[in-house]
Amino acid sequence: MKVLIKAALAAGLALSAAPSFAQDAVRIGALYPFSGGLALLGDESFRGLELAIEERNAAGGLNGRKIEMVRGDAVDPNQAVGEARRLASVDKVSVIFGTYSSSLSLAATQVAELAGVPYFELGAISDPITERGFKNVYRTNPTARIFANRMVDAVAEAVAPALGTDAKSLKVAIIHEDSLYGQTVAGYQQARAKEVGLNLVETLPYSAKSVDLTPVILRLKSAGADVVLQTSYQNDTVLFFRQMKEQGFKPKAVMGAGGGYSLRDTMQAVGPENMEGALNVDFTQYRTNPKAAPGIGEFVKKYEAKYGTAPRSGHSLANYMGAKVLLDAMASAKDLTAPAIREAVMAVDVAEGTTATGWGAKFNEAGQNERATPFLMQWQGGELLTVFPADAAVAEMKTGIGAE
Amino acid sequence: MDVLVQLILNGIMLGSMYAIISVGLTLIFGIVRVVNFAHGEFLMVGMYAVYLLSLHLGLHPYVSAVPMVLMLFAVGALVQRFIIQPLLGADEHIQIFATVGLSTALINLALLVFGADLYSVQAPGVRQPLSIGGYTVLYAQVVMLVSALVLVAGLHLFMQRTPLGRAIRATAQNRNAAQLMGVRVDRIYVIAFGLGAACVGLASALISPLFPVTPTIGTYFVLTAFVVVVLGGMRSMYGAFLGAMIIGIVDSLSGYYIAPDLKEVVYFAIFILILIFKPTGLFGFGRGTE
Amino acid sequence: MTVRVSLSEAPPAGRLAALMAWLGNPRVYTSLAALSLILVIPIVVDSPFIVHVFVTICVFAGLSTAWNIVGGYAGQLSLGHMVFYGIGAYTTALLIQHFGLTPWLGMWVGAVVSVAVSVFIGYPCFRLRGPFFALATIAFLEVVRLLAIHFHGFTGGSAGLIVPLKLGWTWMIFQDKINYLYIAFGLLLLTLAISYAIRSSRLGYYLTAVREREEAASAAGISNTGVKLKAVMISAALTSLFGSFHAMYLTFLEPETMFSLANSVSIAMFALIGGLGTVAGPLLGTVLVVPIAELARGWLGASANGLHGFVYGVVLVLITLTLPGGLAGTFGPRVTALIDRLPGRRVPPDREAPALRRMEGTPGEPVLETRDLVMKFGGLTATDHVSITLRRGEILGVIGPNGAGKTTVFNQISGFLKPTSGTVVIYDAEGRPVTPARADEYARLGVGRTFQIVQPFGKLTVIENIMIGAFMRHTSVDDARAAALRIARLVGLLHVKDVEARNLPIGDLKRLEVARTLATEPSILLLDEVMAGQNQTDTQKMVELIRTIRDTGVTVIAIEHNMQAIMSLSDRIVVIDSGKVIAEGDPQEVVRNRRVIEAYLGEDFVDAQGL
Repeated sequence: MKVLIKAALAAGLALSAAPSFAQDAVRIGALYPFSGGLALLGDESFRGLELAIEERNAAGGLNGRKIEMVRGDAVDPNQAVGEARRLASVDKVSVIFGTYSSSLSLAATQVAELAGVPYFELGAISDPITERGFKNVYRTNPTARIFANRMVDAVAEAVAPALGTDAKSLKVAIIHEDSLYGQTVAGYQQARAKEVGLNLVETLPYSAKSVDLTPVILRLKSAGADVVLQTSYQNDTVLFFRQMKEQGFKPKAVMGAGGGYSLRDTMQAVGPENMEGALNVDFTQYRTNPKAAPGIGEFVKKYEAKYGTAPRSGHSLANYMGAKVLLDAMASAKDLTAPAIREAVMAVDVAEGTTATGWGAKFNEAGQNERATPFLMQWQGGELLTVFPADAAVAEMKTGIGAE
Repeated sequence: MDVLVQLILNGIMLGSMYAIISVGLTLIFGIVRVVNFAHGEFLMVGMYAVYLLSLHLGLHPYVSAVPMVLMLFAVGALVQRFIIQPLLGADEHIQIFATVGLSTALINLALLVFGADLYSVQAPGVRQPLSIGGYTVLYAQVVMLVSALVLVAGLHLFMQRTPLGRAIRATAQNRNAAQLMGVRVDRIYVIAFGLGAACVGLASALISPLFPVTPTIGTYFVLTAFVVVVLGGMRSMYGAFLGAMIIGIVDSLSGYYIAPDLKEVVYFAIFILILIFKPTGLFGFGRGTE
Repeated sequence: MTVRVSLSEAPPAGRLAALMAWLGNPRVYTSLAALSLILVIPIVVDSPFIVHVFVTICVFAGLSTAWNIVGGYAGQLSLGHMVFYGIGAYTTALLIQHFGLTPWLGMWVGAVVSVAVSVFIGYPCFRLRGPFFALATIAFLEVVRLLAIHFHGFTGGSAGLIVPLKLGWTWMIFQDKINYLYIAFGLLLLTLAISYAIRSSRLGYYLTAVREREEAASAAGISNTGVKLKAVMISAALTSLFGSFHAMYLTFLEPETMFSLANSVSIAMFALIGGLGTVAGPLLGTVLVVPIAELARGWLGASANGLHGFVYGVVLVLITLTLPGGLAGTFGPRVTALIDRLPGRRVPPDREAPALRRMEGTPGEPVLETRDLVMKFGGLTATDHVSITLRRGEILGVIGPNGAGKTTVFNQISGFLKPTSGTVVIYDAEGRPVTPARADEYARLGVGRTFQIVQPFGKLTVIENIMIGAFMRHTSVDDARAAALRIARLVGLLHVKDVEARNLPIGDLKRLEVARTLATEPSILLLDEVMAGQNQTDTQKMVELIRTIRDTGVTVIAIEHNMQAIMSLSDRIVVIDSGKVIAEGDPQEVVRNRRVIEAYLGEDFVDAQGL
């Protein structure tokens, strides 16, 4: 019986191993978590890539060749490895775009590197992705360290001035969920806070599956924290805001590192009045000054036309911007081999303030974009508005948490 | 001192939430002798139903408690009748796998129908803090505590005073003897499983105002509920209630005094120690090694 | 596909000849041929993706096979098995990071750590049954995962640990993916071989015995905790090796994936689908599910989020409802029968039974003594200062009304109950007094007992049941089988030797009870109502059998309600009533004793008869 199954399997796989595709199409891989717990934002990220490619195809494709997308669904690292391998060998894609999740990206990029297929990371923030000396991995989005530095620096550059005090007099606390995302960002925050000499009073990790954050809040209350930096997913963000209110804890500022802070669902679950004034550092969101992010309005229109809803988060925009920059690079490459693509990517030079995210693009030897900086945003009246730096801002920064 | 009192208060409130869920799990285990690994998913199903009722009919979650109890009773009864009943004679392994399979199927069904988004129920008023001598609890939590007490007391009266309750107790003690006395054991099991699931129905209505629902929300509660059930001695509702209070308080205190990310370690450690050294539960209400 | 080769297959003298003979067996060569497909298909198809699918199959089949040693053979449902996988992975990766130690050595260090942890977890948890054991293993997994996250300075925490990409065999990281398959396949072969060796050895039988009935296993001299620990240690070591390998394959470790509850459940599910407790089952389940899952994700995953998980869950429920034996359990016998029709060498004839253990010691001397045995259950005193002396070579009958405490005495002199006070002393051949601590030690010392309520290993055949007893004196399967056949012939069970014990009528079950105990070659035989439920002829046969046994030098102590039989059989009689010895002596003497008649028939009767 097993023999039969195997024979059938081998035949099936062999068939799929020899796909017939258009002679002149350029095949690219799209590796995201399309199922499982990360599916929502994985899919949101993918939409940005999809829009960028449609746009490119509508404009004649890659030097006259149409771009064909092959999806890979990566639910966990083992599957990320498998799907990356499938894209590289069975579908013979020229490049792979991905991945949203850092652990999936870490696993998949190792495969791509060994297979010599360029890997374009558009959304995962773990720094080591571009710190392993790989030659074929490029990332357009800011890393966890850049996020953390932005947050810590914003305390001195934006929060303290708005409060009219000296940053060193503020008691800062870091809380974070304890998976890869939270632990990584919080680690860099701690380092940066020490570097710039902030008064860090607490660092509290917790599980994102917690059903009660009251002890965390009471710890913050006891420590008298003025500014709370939180790195969190959606559930724990909702829980934190609700319970903060219940326990009557009112810090002078709360700042999130994207994640749950950027989602409209979170604001609705917490209530706009309770989310009022919450700061957030993240990929560029939609209420950003178009002067600093040209093309952002057009992106939203295209998105709404295609998917029938407003974008669910900034992930699609970040993927869109990254994909556009790298597709341009591919178009300028003399062919689609890995060395040619590397040469083209290294030659990219896009000034800040000229893309839909407002980021520029200039890659270092490790493949990391050095011109990607996240903006500081704030929830005001149920909208997430960019408030810092000034040229990207659409509103003044307010102080305090929760509506009066 | 203030913090300590607030933490304990918070722990009791948390405990009453665990209590309602765990009493259901205890009923099912104590009577049918099956550990229901899909218990958390019953809660998830209930919470989605509460959300839908609130969205389409504008029902307050507390009003939904009645239809939820009935619906989950039906769900539990059906699961017992069509999945557990045929497996009663089989290895424990098989029963466990069946409920694990059910849990996997339900989580993914929710993902298929509702997606990974998070839905929050509007429940005017109940999330207001209530200040008692400077300490804070929520109306919703007080309702939860009162409901937990009423539930345990009500089940106690039901078990002691009604013929059906006595039949259930007889079946729990000795299945064969009960059968000989003319008790229709299969029917008792269906009712018991239904009652256990109905407790979760109540829990889903009471928890909805506090937590937004996602496909995996059940997994947040179910491992804790197992800890509570073991602590309470597996079979005893009172044990489960006290166990829930203890875990609630431990959860709250260790989150503050030890570290928020190690509170699960603390109560899992308690769980393992209890299982190994005092399998009859903390209060000696039952047996874990039979 | 089956790897279940006949049990009595042992290579005779001449290694090469034995190997050739073994390979000539159709079951062996079909199994090996089927297995080799795992290697051949990817080499022929030559696609890195296929290689990945097959590496995944090898890893999960190996993990599932290793799990099956504990979960299937020993029946301990571990749902936290990935703890060993994670320990193997982390140990190997940390050794590379800090000491530059090659994974080829690191994986063995990991295995040693895993074995230590498995003892630490297993020893206390094996007291727990069924769902509680499962819950405890989940709790251990969660604790280890949370600690791995918390102590991120050591483990890298959630941010993960990256294995440096140093290529080559030394570092187990390759450009050419097929090399991974060679290693994974090698590990799988090792695991299957060990799993097969256990299944067809004494340990395999012992694990089944312990899974089925712990008490009867103790009576056969098996240390329950001991064999379970052996199983979990072997399983942990193998699981850990796969963890080490897989870490090198993934090159990225994080607590979430390394200590994953979902994967722990998956490997158990593969074994269930393939057939719990069979050698081929876990492999079969994995080969079926993994490729389907991989393909299903391609077809459904992106368009219908959650659909394939839903289907997976439903299929699991349906399998439990319709095929609880799994694929191997349900279709295995039929496929095996087909394979056996292929040409090749058959099962060799039964071999000569090994010599019986010689009974030593002087007849008539005390061989077992109880002094003032008191056993209290709560307020009830079941035995009240019972002192009995058993002499070598005699047949001692124990009689008394129902509930008198006879079986309680038996339970104390076979180690199943610890007396509240008083002592039990056994004298060995040299006359030295010994008091064993546990039931299995009593059995190994030569105290063999039967159970009043028969305790057969229901899923084993009659001959296998007897072998469980025979293993105590004969480690090799062949010797045990030969010895068991001799016993089966002696007690008259030869005609049903291949029937599963649960299908036997009560008379045969009683004889099986005696047979299993006799197979342990006891010097003291405790028979608890072995004649109950037997017809006249069978009773007569049993009486003769007991006499024969005694004539080989065995001392017999028998509880019996069949007065005629016990009176004709016994050299001496002890009468117990209400937990006390009320009379002792020659059978003729005892039946005339006034207190005995009172005990049996009541004072009124005695008075009326004017005795």
